[in-house]
Amino acid sequence: MAFNPRKFKKILIANRGEIACRIIWTCKEMGIKTVAVHSDVDRDSLHVRFADEAACIGPAPSAQSYLNIPAIISAAEIFNVDAIHPGYGFLAESAQFAEICEACNIKFIGPSASVIRLMGDKIEARRAMNEAGLPVLPGSSEAISSEEEGLKLAREIGYPVIVKASAGGGGRGMRIVRTEQELGQALKTASTEAAAAFKDGSVYIERYVEQPRHIEIQVLGDEYGECIHLGERECSIQRRHQKLMEEAPSPVLTKELRQRMGDAAVSACKKLGYSSSGTVEFLLDASGEFYFMEMNTRIQVEHPVTEMVTLADIVRNQIRIAEGEPLGYTQDDLLIVGHAIECRINAENPETFAPSPGVITAFNLPGGPGVRVDTFVYSGYRVSPFYDSLIAKVIVHARTRDLAIARMKRALEAMVIEGIKTTIPLHLKIMDDPRFRAGDISTNFMEYFLARNGRKSAVEEGVGAGAKARA
Amino acid sequence: MARKEGDLNPNRRNKARAESSGRPGASVNMDELRELIALLRENGLAEFELERADFRVRLRRESSPAQSNYSADAPAVVPTPTPPPVDVVSTAKPATPTAHHPGAQAETAASEDSDLHLISSPIVGTFYRSPSPTADPFVKIGSNVEPETVVCIIEAMKLMNEIQAEATGEIVKIYVENGQPVEYGQPLFGIRS
Repeated sequence: MAFNPRKFKKILIANRGEIACRIIWTCKEMGIKTVAVHSDVDRDSLHVRFADEAACIGPAPSAQSYLNIPAIISAAEIFNVDAIHPGYGFLAESAQFAEICEACNIKFIGPSASVIRLMGDKIEARRAMNEAGLPVLPGSSEAISSEEEGLKLAREIGYPVIVKASAGGGGRGMRIVRTEQELGQALKTASTEAAAAFKDGSVYIERYVEQPRHIEIQVLGDEYGECIHLGERECSIQRRHQKLMEEAPSPVLTKELRQRMGDAAVSACKKLGYSSSGTVEFLLDASGEFYFMEMNTRIQVEHPVTEMVTLADIVRNQIRIAEGEPLGYTQDDLLIVGHAIECRINAENPETFAPSPGVITAFNLPGGPGVRVDTFVYSGYRVSPFYDSLIAKVIVHARTRDLAIARMKRALEAMVIEGIKTTIPLHLKIMDDPRFRAGDISTNFMEYFLARNGRKSAVEEGVGAGAKARA
Repeated sequence: MARKEGDLNPNRRNKARAESSGRPGASVNMDELRELIALLRENGLAEFELERADFRVRLRRESSPAQSNYSADAPAVVPTPTPPPVDVVSTAKPATPTAHHPGAQAETAASEDSDLHLISSPIVGTFYRSPSPTADPFVKIGSNVEPETVVCIIEAMKLMNEIQAEATGEIVKIYVENGQPVEYGQPLFGIRS
């Protein structure tokens, strides 16, 4: 193996908010200089203050700033950076951006452009991962042309099945079918609904997973073909496909199931030649069967829970891998210790979820044993309406899940953010919920929780059954 | 970048000139006109009208902040330069560390020139005063510019972008140096209309 290490002296962070700060912290620890690029309204953001150098690259709208490839590359050239870390969102999964970086001789901290492109096409990703040995949800890949075809397919897939609109989403044009007798009618009504909502009545059929859990496997691969997994994260608590909180390890995964899922993910990634940090998302059904849903070729929002239980620094590993260092770990080196939970704190009304931008007038961060807060706001900071509402992540780590829940409660109680509304009260309520405390959760949890707490049920809001989340 | 509402409507000025040159014995010249404009500004006057036997001129001054340069591509969103100061209860705001911005010093200088129209950089890149290393600069202090006058080049990703004045007047300040990196919104030139 020919190693080709090249140490970075300076990294540009093509992102903002908490992840930009997160990347800066590790760069400081590694002695790497940082460049922050920002929109004009982000001038006072924390990541701009703590970077070594900074440049304003455009006005507030993301298309003209954080998604503005020429502006970002121009800044990278002015500051003579060695590499760009794209964070998550924005250009993190833009194959085009990865290619442009390469053409400009700037190292893109992430996997290759071709793998990004492949995993970005969800249908192609399913096909490729299936060929690489991962189980996918049984289903038709094309529209059903007749009731007979539907019946035949449903028998192959196995009931219960779900009829879904090809052009659709948001819970419309979907029908759950538990017995063969119901299928014909379900195909008709789903198709009619789809035609009305999306002007396209074509439907397909998929296995329906009751009470699915969203389990994702964190992987790390180097540029020499080595790959390991860092265990799983459970991200079943979601509203409208947005994760609200995550934990590691999952309360239901046995050691054996973890090994099966982890090995499957790693094997597929090795076949793809995957390098850098990545996450393979699965749906887990009640009987312990898991199905590949999609792969995210970037660092994820919820990476801290994995870092807490494995003592790994995922950003540091991304940088090392991009520098051309070999992974240096084998799967046997993996240690999972204790339990970690993360709550995403959004600048939103905790009951209506309406965005709540404004100036933070009082601010206190919780501390003490086993508490970590990833944030970019401070007292006096103006939360702007231009970007997503995530303002902080509160992460706790403790020896057991029960201790972690108690720790999260007291950490949230000590977290003071005044001047804007935040979802802290919502998370406190979830901590007290008996089903949550029992680990009895699935992607339908928020629907149950909101109904129980007097709010409109998620189904009325248009969340489809068996839905999985965007990180 | 959109044109700022000017101190002087160039059409009026041209019309005054045309009227005066068309009539024998008409007595207005550019120096006089400039003096009138200066009078307007120095005394903070909003409107001024002068009538003589053979001509009449009216000058109206719109008071607009010097910093409002809108990118032609941007929709109606106004970039807000600074948030209002806030009385904070706790002092958790980080004090000292501040990243080194290319624009820091120039902005301080430009903020003192509130009566000038500023040409700001529409992109992040490297500022050049001439079309090529050996050529003369596009403009100097004292140069008169029209909206389509090219005042500089900003290089980004090996592309040379010609920056137009988008205003009429005289260059009185240059805030950056040849070859200096500049950021979006950074003041480059100060123009007196």
